[in-house]
Formats: sequence, C-alpha cells, structure tokens
Amino acid sequence: MTDYQRELFQKFAALASLIALTGAFSLVSDAFFSLGNGITVALQVTSIAYLGIGATCVIITGGIDLSVGAILALSGVIAAMATKAGVAVPIAMLLGVATGLACGLVNGACVTLLRLPPFIATLGMMLVARGVALQITDAKAIGGLGDSFAELGNGSLARVVRLDAQGFPDVVFPGLPYPVLLMVLLAVAVSLLLNRTTLGRHLYAIGSNSEAARLSGVDVRGVTVFAYVLSGGLAGMTGCVLMSRLVTAQPSEGLMYELDAIAAAVIGGTSLSGGAGSISGTMIGAFVIGILRNGLNMAGVSAFIQQILIGVVILLTVWIDQMRHRR
Amino acid sequence: MAQAQPIPVAEPEPLLRMRGITRRFAGVIALQDVDFDLRAGEVHAVCGENGAGKSTLMKILSGQLAPDDGSVELRGHPVHFMSCREAERAGIAMIHQELNLVPHLSVAENILLAREPHRLGFIDRRQLRESARRHLDRLKVDIDPAAIVRTLSVAHRQMVEIAKALSLQADVLIMDEPTSSLTEAETARLFEVIADLRRSGVGVAYISHRLDELEKVVDRVTVLRDGRRVATSAWSDTSIDRIVEQMVGRSLTEKFPPATREVTTDVLLRVSGLTRRGAFDDVTFDVRRGEILGFAGLMGAGRTEVARAVFGADPKDAGETRLNGELIRIDLPRDAIRQGIAYLSEDRKAHGVAVHMRVDANITMANMRAISNRFGFIRFPQEEAVAREYIELLGIRTPSARQLVRLLSGGNQQKVVIAKWLFKEARVLFFDEPTRGIDVGARFAIYELLDRLAAKGIGIVVISSDLPEILGIADRIAVFHRGRIAGEVRAATTTQEEVMRLASGFGSQNRAELVQ
Repeated sequence: MTDYQRELFQKFAALASLIALTGAFSLVSDAFFSLGNGITVALQVTSIAYLGIGATCVIITGGIDLSVGAILALSGVIAAMATKAGVAVPIAMLLGVATGLACGLVNGACVTLLRLPPFIATLGMMLVARGVALQITDAKAIGGLGDSFAELGNGSLARVVRLDAQGFPDVVFPGLPYPVLLMVLLAVAVSLLLNRTTLGRHLYAIGSNSEAARLSGVDVRGVTVFAYVLSGGLAGMTGCVLMSRLVTAQPSEGLMYELDAIAAAVIGGTSLSGGAGSISGTMIGAFVIGILRNGLNMAGVSAFIQQILIGVVILLTVWIDQMRHRR
Repeated sequence: MAQAQPIPVAEPEPLLRMRGITRRFAGVIALQDVDFDLRAGEVHAVCGENGAGKSTLMKILSGQLAPDDGSVELRGHPVHFMSCREAERAGIAMIHQELNLVPHLSVAENILLAREPHRLGFIDRRQLRESARRHLDRLKVDIDPAAIVRTLSVAHRQMVEIAKALSLQADVLIMDEPTSSLTEAETARLFEVIADLRRSGVGVAYISHRLDELEKVVDRVTVLRDGRRVATSAWSDTSIDRIVEQMVGRSLTEKFPPATREVTTDVLLRVSGLTRRGAFDDVTFDVRRGEILGFAGLMGAGRTEVARAVFGADPKDAGETRLNGELIRIDLPRDAIRQGIAYLSEDRKAHGVAVHMRVDANITMANMRAISNRFGFIRFPQEEAVAREYIELLGIRTPSARQLVRLLSGGNQQKVVIAKWLFKEARVLFFDEPTRGIDVGARFAIYELLDRLAAKGIGIVVISSDLPEILGIADRIAVFHRGRIAGEVRAATTTQEEVMRLASGFGSQNRAELVQ
C-alpha cells in the first residue's frame, strides 16, 4: 500500500465510521435523520470545528494549543462588555477576535522567542485567559445583549418563514445558519491554505523536520507564530459566535473545548508528532464527536455514558492509526 | 548474473546457519533465497550496496524481523525469534548502526538497560557502575559510567553501544557499521576487541562500507546484490576490487571520475578571520570559481562548525564574508540562502531532508517562491515539472516525484538535497560528508556531480573525514586542527601522510601544541 493509499484508507475509515454512526442512530430514532436535526448537529459541531481547524494547524507544526477554551471565554466576554458599553456589535465582535489574535501572538512568542514547550506556554495562557475573563466579569454572566448581538449565532441565510392563518410564524425552510456557513467557508479557506500555499507547505515542513526547514531558509519562527495566532483568532471568533448563539456571555464557557478540538483533529488523522494532518479529516472528526453526542442524547443515553463512549472512540481511532503506521 | 556457488560444506559445524532466507516488504523482494553461516571464532563480513539486503538479513538474524521463508539454525537447532530479547537470550546481540541509546540515562544505565543488578528489590547502583566500568575497560575507553549519554560525542556513544553488546556475552555478535563514527585510534581498539572475541570463540557478522578496513579483521566475505547472495569466499581468496565488482555487478576501474572542471583564480567566496570562542579561531579561506575546496581534519577539528557559521546556522563572534568581493551579512540561514550559499548537512536525516514529505516538496522547499504565484499559491504543474527535471538531471532513483523521501536510499536522499540547492541556484555549496553512509556505486555518481557543478562555475567546499576521498576529488585542501586551519595543500602534490600530519597538529605552524 502506498502512503497515498494509506491516507485515503485512513480518511475512508473515519468517514465510514461517520456514516455508520449516522445509519445506526437513524435506525434507533426517527427524529435523528431529518433536515432539522441535521442543522442542529451542524450548529452544535461549529465550535469544535472552528477550534479543531486551528488545532490542526498548530499540531501539524508539532505543537499543541491548550488555551483555546479559555481564549474563547475571554473573547466572548470582551465582545459582550464592549457591546454593553455601547460599541457597535460588529466592532465589538472584531474586538473579541482581536483579543484571540493577541492571545495567540503571546502563545507564539512564548514558544518561539522564550522557547517554552507549547504544552506549557498554552497551559499558562489557558489559566491567564480564564482568570482574566472571570476577573473582569466578577464571574457573572453578561445578559441582555440585544437582538443584533444574537444575529450572528442565531440568524440564517435564505430562511423562509410564512405566517400561518393564526398569524404564527411557520418555518418553511430553515435556511443555512450563519455559524454553519462560516464553518464551511473557514474549512475551505484553511484547507486551501494548507494544501495550496507556500505557507501551508512550510507548516508541514516545520512539523516534519524543523531543522531541515530552517536550513532550507524557512522562517520557522514566523510560520510557527502564525499557527498560534490563527488558532487564537479562531478561538476568539468561536467565543463571539457561541456567546451570540446563547445571547449571554459566560466567563466559564468553553471549558475543556480545547480537548474536543484536539480530539477532532486526532480522530481525523492529524499526527500529534507533527507533519501530518488535514482539514477534511478534522471536519470528519468534529462530526463524529457531534453526531455521537446528538444521537446518544436522542437515544436518551446519559451524559456520563456519552463521555465514556467518546473516550473509547478516541482510543480506538488512534489505535487504528498506530496500527496503520506500524505496518 | 553470475550464479552463486554453493557454500562449501563447512568443516566445523557452524555456530549459525541461515538457509533460503526470503523476505518481502509490501511485495518488493528485499532478500531472496539467501544462505549465510557463521562459525565459532570467525569474522564474517557482509558486503553490498545500500538496499542490497544486508541490514534486512541482520535484522532477521537478530530477531527484529521474521523471514517470510527460510530457516535459521543456532548450534544445529532451528530457532524462530519473535523479538530482539529472544535473540539476545539465545546469545545473539547486535550493535546498531543508528544509535539505540536512551539519551537521558547514564552510560552505566544504558549498558545494563533492562538487566540492572538488583538488591532487595532496588537497583544496586554500585554494582551497576562497576559492571559497566568492566565492560568499558575491555574497550580501553575512558568514559565515565555515570556520564549522561546525551552529553557524549557520537564516537563515545558508539563505544557505549559496543560495550552494551559485549555485556550480553553473546556467542554471535552482529556489527552494523560499527566504525562509521569512530576515530582511527578508536577503530584500532575496536579491532583489538574483535580479535579478542574471535579467540574466545565468538562469531562476528560484520557490515561495513569501508572495505579498506575489512582486511584487518575479516575471515570470510559474503557479497549481496539486489537481495541475492552473489558470492561467499575466504578473505584470502578474494580482493577488494573483486568484492566491489561483485557488489556493483560491473568492474569499477576508477574510484574517482576524471575532472572536467577548469580551476580559475577568481575568488567567489572569501571568509576571513572567522572566530567563535571555544569552537574555531581566525579561520580564513577562499573558494574559487570552478574549484573544489576540501576541508580535511579529525572529528571535532571545527570543520562543520565553520561551515555552519558561514551559512548562518550557528552564531559567530568575529569574521567577515565576501561574495564576489562584496561584503555580505549573514545572521540566519535565510540570509545565506538569499545570497546563494547553501550547506548540505552531514546528518541528512536530522537536518537535510524532511523524510515524511514527498520528493517534490523537498526539492522545492528552499525556493517555494519560484513555483508559487504572488499570493503564495503553489503552481502544482510547475512544481511537478521542476521535480521531474531534477530527478532526471541527477538520476534520482524514485518511482515518482510523489514518493516519500524516507522510502529512498541514502544516495538518492542525498541527491534530493542537492537538487534542492540546484533549484535554488546556489553559487557556493558546502557539502558536509556528502558520501557518508552511501554505497560505492552511488558515491561515484556524487563525485561526478560535484565535478559537474564545479565545472558550471559553482564554488564547492567538501568536508570529508575520508582522506582518499578528499585527495581524490578536491583541488585544494584546507586542513583543520583544533579550530584553526593548520595548513593548505594542493591535492595534486600532497600525500595522505602530509594531510594527516597537519590534521594531528604536527604541521609546521603548530609546534606549540605538540607539547600538549
């Protein structure tokens, strides 16, 4: 088997398990396989997907980003506070994303300039960002953010609503929710970045052999910082979208999301030792996790059992991946 | 192809007998129907080019791989090893070519890893150290058993690896390129130990690319080519020329290609007063157009350090670099690359190629701009065309440009690195040990390539520890001793002895150091 075929096999295996899961849940529950639930799943997956895309880029360079859950909370809280202070919603949200970018920049600087191990650098950022988010909000949720703040998370493109005879709204076509649209655009853009551009090639080169990349003239520092800034920026964006969806900014939101993001990347075939990974794989990984949660919920399985099952799925996929490499 | 004659029925019952060994990897034959035996008290060399199957055969012998077909008998009993440990328990130990030590543990802990002496359930540290010391003493090397392996030189690590294998007190010892990183003196000591082992009845299977050293230790030679056994003969019945002929499948009349380049006097690169405290001091040299400059010297004399500092890979304290007479500033490899100066590392796997990436991606890695548009998008058809062009130009043996580099042989990996710098249109190339770990046939191709590059007007610097090699390919040789250039000689008029004398500090300029 050539490596190319192996790659296909890996992707196919992940995709096959995704289809199998969908099939199984459809049999168990009639409500599962419907347009409405499909959109619900897609919406639920968006957070993991945004973060997973960033995590994939970082992991490809051989690093890891544990701070995205906390950055998400800080960014969302800042966007909400700015809105409360009278800043226009789009600007406030951009402020939130900028917060994420800045946190990512600090992560990148710690990794490249201070030469801290990525695990430690982002662990520190995780505590700092979460601490700041809790401090500036007094650990209280920020509510009453208004309709325009809720638009990004709850609005849809091409939504068709008709008023019925009693004057109640009747959703003819649910449309494409903005978060889902954003997810698709992001996945395509980052996928192009990784596969088609010099920058993407350099990300892989650093993860594959950073010394060879440096001796080939690759700006190892700059490219590494880029990966963390991208991850931080995506976390900031995730924060804005998530808080908009809930129309509340929670400083304790996004707990352990970083692990979901890493899990999505790993299930999708991204190698924690760097140099290998793809966005399509990560998206499949994110949907595997999302569908497991959604389907198990509908089947009435408790949240604790869900956690156990997702843990087992991660172990299984990584084990299959290892087996493939050992051969 | 010459039919391999049957192995003469061994008079004494062999210690080890392998018959009809066949092994395939993903359908590709690595070994086919190979016979090999080893008598007690003999050193049996296995020769062959890279990819001929030497390492696969030895891995089967040491239990790391299982054969698809064939049998292994130890002292007349068939054995089927499932792991190295099983082979070790049966008395077969291997000294690995790639160093297999745990860098963060001490020398003693490494030597007795997984066989630590215990007392009351705890590791007996004193006994651990003493017994490690005994094994090291046998090699007459002065290495502290408490030293952490990470801090040792490559040569010392190799000695620790050898001590570890000796500590197993095996009857069959497999040595895979044991001398590739040893100094002359250490090599000589190793040969004494081998002679010692032979007297005590140990059978040694010996793999080396350095055919010239075989005559000092070897009793019999088996030559493999393309996974088949070509010949097995007593050392006294064969010759190095004959072995090389059997390895390559044709006769190699010349070891070095005739020079086609024309040496000029225009100075391409001038480095002067280059200094880094503790590493090298006041190093000055010129690289001329059309010329191959050699850096000779012992390990640790500062040759690699100088090249890396010129390239910007490591810092320097003082010194200037002029390219075509113009003063240039190089702080990072990127600066050097922009000026057209390239460095090909001695450690290809660690610094030269990204082995998990494809051939085309490696070739274009240093010059991505040339194959992408102004938004940074790679133009794939162009990348593929570039890769094809260089694969053909350098004769890189690969099924396609999409092949992963780790699946190529050492010589072809080296060519991929050369292709990378040719595509970058480098003007000065530093080659650090360009033929290390590369087999005889491929070496010739690399020498030819060096000559062709020099003929094209590219300045070439070759760092090599192999004296005949550097005398054979360089025009001028700068000999390093303890971080300084001890002398510069013309290859055409000098001798190995003169270079050796300069390298070991017995040159005219280094009287003072003689005393030390």
